[in-house]
Amino acid sequence: MIWIDGVLVSRGEGGVYGERMMRGHRVWDPYRSKLAAYYYLGGEVSLESRMRVLYLGAAHGTTVSHVSDSTEVVYAVENAYAPMRDLLAVASRRKNIIPLFADAAQPSSYAPLVEEVDLLFQDVAHPDQASIALMNLPFLRRGGVALIVVKARSIDVTKKPADVVHEVSHKLAESGLYPRRVIWLEPYHRDHAILECPRD
Amino acid sequence: MTPGKPRSLSMPSYWFGDVTGGKCTPAGSHDPEYLSFRLDGIRTEMESFCPPAWEAARDSGFVSSRGEYIRVLREVCIYRAEKALALVAARPEQELIQMVHMRDQLDEVINLVTGRALEWHAARSPEFSRKFRALKGKRALEALVAGGSPRVRGIATGMMHLSEVKADLTREIEQMAGEVIPNCTGLVGGVVAARLLAAAGGLEALARLPAGTIQVLGARTALFAHIRSGSAPPKHGIIYQYRKVHGAKKGRRGKVSRTLAAKIALAARIDYFRGERDEEFLDTARAAVERAAGESGS
Repeated sequence: MIWIDGVLVSRGEGGVYGERMMRGHRVWDPYRSKLAAYYYLGGEVSLESRMRVLYLGAAHGTTVSHVSDSTEVVYAVENAYAPMRDLLAVASRRKNIIPLFADAAQPSSYAPLVEEVDLLFQDVAHPDQASIALMNLPFLRRGGVALIVVKARSIDVTKKPADVVHEVSHKLAESGLYPRRVIWLEPYHRDHAILECPRD
Repeated sequence: MTPGKPRSLSMPSYWFGDVTGGKCTPAGSHDPEYLSFRLDGIRTEMESFCPPAWEAARDSGFVSSRGEYIRVLREVCIYRAEKALALVAARPEQELIQMVHMRDQLDEVINLVTGRALEWHAARSPEFSRKFRALKGKRALEALVAGGSPRVRGIATGMMHLSEVKADLTREIEQMAGEVIPNCTGLVGGVVAARLLAAAGGLEALARLPAGTIQVLGARTALFAHIRSGSAPPKHGIIYQYRKVHGAKKGRRGKVSRTLAAKIALAARIDYFRGERDEEFLDTARAAVERAAGESGS
């Protein structure tokens, strides 16, 4: 990860979404990106230039663009129309983004395309986030890590966020994916946590 | 163009070829259209799935380097995504959704700007302040055009022009909704039907919604307040705007909106699967809504 005076940046062509530049680097804003917030809050799973990444819930491709700056290839899955249009525009300028217009809950639709990855990043608004991660586990190599954003409010608004995260962790652990660390994304994102789950 | 040969389920098939017993038979071309068509024929069982290894593509001669692997793969994926996006964009309801969003936004802008212009005008001419509160919409704009300062007059004229645009757009929505979602339109009118369509996100999505969800579409805040703090559940969302709902006696509104939502759910399915106006359905549906309102019959 590249830090300049305490500011997280990535090295790549700017002007993707109006991000600020700092000494020729793209500023990666923790208030806009949950993954950036994770690094600000001490997340230790760094991006490396040889890494292959499967990114579920790529949305408009803002975070994806930063991930692609620092890794070898990003498989970016998004299933909504308008975000996908933006993601394609981002992918057209970055040769290591593989855009997949598909539902992360239907991994068989992109399975023939996605190789084994070192990092699985998941940021989907779905009531069953644990199941989606488990369904996509075959893409993650043993020894790789899954970073799962739990959006407590998209799972159940009536429960306390901490309880929701506990339930998701429990469900993952039952299937052998043990969260070794939970990082709450306060103050950057409310009611969001990232679960760090290594695959044995 | 057709894929090289049929693939059986036991043989892992990847975008670049088929693998059997560690040997890969590569696909016949790098052409995105060809590879995409080939992909459409591949069924993957996730239980026995093993991700593709790029080395297999190299060893079979499909590509010569890692860089080429990524380049060809990316081209296929962009090709497929663009094709799928074009299919979504070609659905006629997508434009209808944009139109109704635009209509509602125009409405909001006109009201906001008119309100502000009235305030400004009243600040300059105090004798106007008591009268103007009663003025609404077109009347208010006319008063401003007649008596406002040059700047206020200019703004009011602009808003009058926008109001005309809005009226034209409303007519176009009615017409288009009558073609795209004829049965929903027959029940609640084009604008309300188009708003329901927009809230659901598309015709297929609307056709798959249960009536209970359709009833409270557009009442998200009230619904979540109900779930969170146990306040009364919302009786209606967008469908409240239909005159038979807001015009019903207070005690019957819940019943009317429930019945109406059930009929809209049916209408959306007819619109989605058949796409033609069904007069017989519309007659019985309207009769059911009227019974619920206690207007006629039993």
